[in-house]
Amino acid sequence: MFPRRVKGLLDFCMATLCLWAAYHHTPAGALVRKAAAWATGTRSSARPLLAYYDGVSGTSVTSPLVAPELPLARRLTDAEALAWGTHLALKSVDDRAREPVLALASELGVSSAALLDVKEGPGAAGTLHAALAKDFPGDEARLTALFAGRVPARYALERVRAEGGAPTLERLASQLPPGFEDASVGAAQALALATAFGLAWPVHESARVTSPFGERHHPVLGRRKLHTGVDLGVPVGTAVVAVADGVVRRASEDAVNGRVLVVDHGRGVTTAYCHNSELLVTVGQRVTRGQRVARSGDTGRSTGPHLHYQLELAARPMDPLKFRTALRSVAKDAAP
Amino acid sequence: MPLGLVALVAVGVHSAADTLDDRLLALVDRVDAAFDAFVGRYALTAPLVEWVSLEQRTRIARFLALAWELCADLVLALPALGYRESSAPAPVEAWRAVLEPPAARPTWRALWTRCLRKPTPTRWLRPLATTAVVLAGACAVGKLIQGSVYLSWRELFGDAAADVAARALAVAGLVGVLVSLGWRAVLRNLQHADALCEEAGGRRAWRRGLPGCAVVVPLAVAAVMDAAPVLSFFR
Repeated sequence: MFPRRVKGLLDFCMATLCLWAAYHHTPAGALVRKAAAWATGTRSSARPLLAYYDGVSGTSVTSPLVAPELPLARRLTDAEALAWGTHLALKSVDDRAREPVLALASELGVSSAALLDVKEGPGAAGTLHAALAKDFPGDEARLTALFAGRVPARYALERVRAEGGAPTLERLASQLPPGFEDASVGAAQALALATAFGLAWPVHESARVTSPFGERHHPVLGRRKLHTGVDLGVPVGTAVVAVADGVVRRASEDAVNGRVLVVDHGRGVTTAYCHNSELLVTVGQRVTRGQRVARSGDTGRSTGPHLHYQLELAARPMDPLKFRTALRSVAKDAAP
Repeated sequence: MPLGLVALVAVGVHSAADTLDDRLLALVDRVDAAFDAFVGRYALTAPLVEWVSLEQRTRIARFLALAWELCADLVLALPALGYRESSAPAPVEAWRAVLEPPAARPTWRALWTRCLRKPTPTRWLRPLATTAVVLAGACAVGKLIQGSVYLSWRELFGDAAADVAARALAVAGLVGVLVSLGWRAVLRNLQHADALCEEAGGRRAWRRGLPGCAVVVPLAVAAVMDAAPVLSFFR
């Protein structure tokens, strides 16, 4: 149909296109980019090799997450939680990832300093969300618009609609061409943090915090160790509920955690419930917020009946009390 | 051309591997739970329960996805480096054909006939897996073209014109890659699988290349199910 030379040119163009796609789209391409950057003494734009698989846990968060510095004064609405998440994510991402957000802020007359301020930040981020809410009613699309820009987000949204299915952050990010990786990380952080603000509490509100999150002298091992969750002093048999909708990723028993349950809530948020006396759900089961998932106990490496509740954002343990909506302090809880 | 074929298969394999990592995480979770239950039985090994944290499990799942992808690249993309373009043999006199048999690689027809007469898992599964990842790779290329063209041309030509151009070029890229490189990648893998089986001969041909098939078949299924949104380019 085509002359030989035209066919040759077409083949060449298509081969070049595939090489371009492999260069930007695959871990093998990332290796080549890193090698080229090393050889030329420049900074490589390639992501770490394992970051090319960002489907895990629903996000591709790589930079450290920042928890709120001040305790929350009242219960947050969904919109406020999203604004808080955005504000905290902005504090942890680098300058390049902040650029689209700051551009939108200057367009709306919001000062960039206010966005990063401890007190004014959430309010300023809320103003940006309100400005985008009409065009992007969904949280995940709005965060993409905020961190990647309105036009790329609209494009990604249309592509996801064309493919069919829900416009999750992961799917939206996969539609964007190279150069938007930092934006995806910022949006993923904001979403994980915002989701953490909306979580319920696994046992009744009056349960005492017997051991807070952080470095502590381990009562059984006798050495300093990071306590990756909070211990809630509750009698054996107390109902443990799921703090949000999710899927049970693990329901097992071992000598350290006892009868343990891990629930994946999506959006990069996972919770774990350890030392239970009985597990009421199985692996792969979908659970809803408030559903009874276990009965607390004293199994595994434990010095008394309690529930070890652990919150992980992007697979990193965070202090659940930092995201608690009710006003209460560890000191108050620990008091007899 | 061989590099283009390797790149196309690599892009397709990555698109497929990217959809499998959550399932790999579920698998790692189950294995870790079984490991914890086992080591937790003895006081000496009980501290090993805390050996793998959730963050490490996520890393392990990602590492497995990377290792799986690189293995699949070895099985499906590497043979493409052996691709050589050749013209159809010119007609020769009968006596020359008998004395100097042509050394050219087997044609589609010859390979197809052997697939039917001497079927083996490698002869069937590898080309089919290549077809699947090539389709996923072509879709990834189309997606990359559409996004890049739309976002970079929008300010120059306006929204509507950039949208039309991006869609048209994405479809052209998708079809062009399949027509230009796709069939060559499949043919080359078919030739390679055929050569492997011919070399082994007899019953051993049935077992030849089975581990490679086990690596690429799940990826091929993922490529077709989750990574080849062909129709989305026409909506």
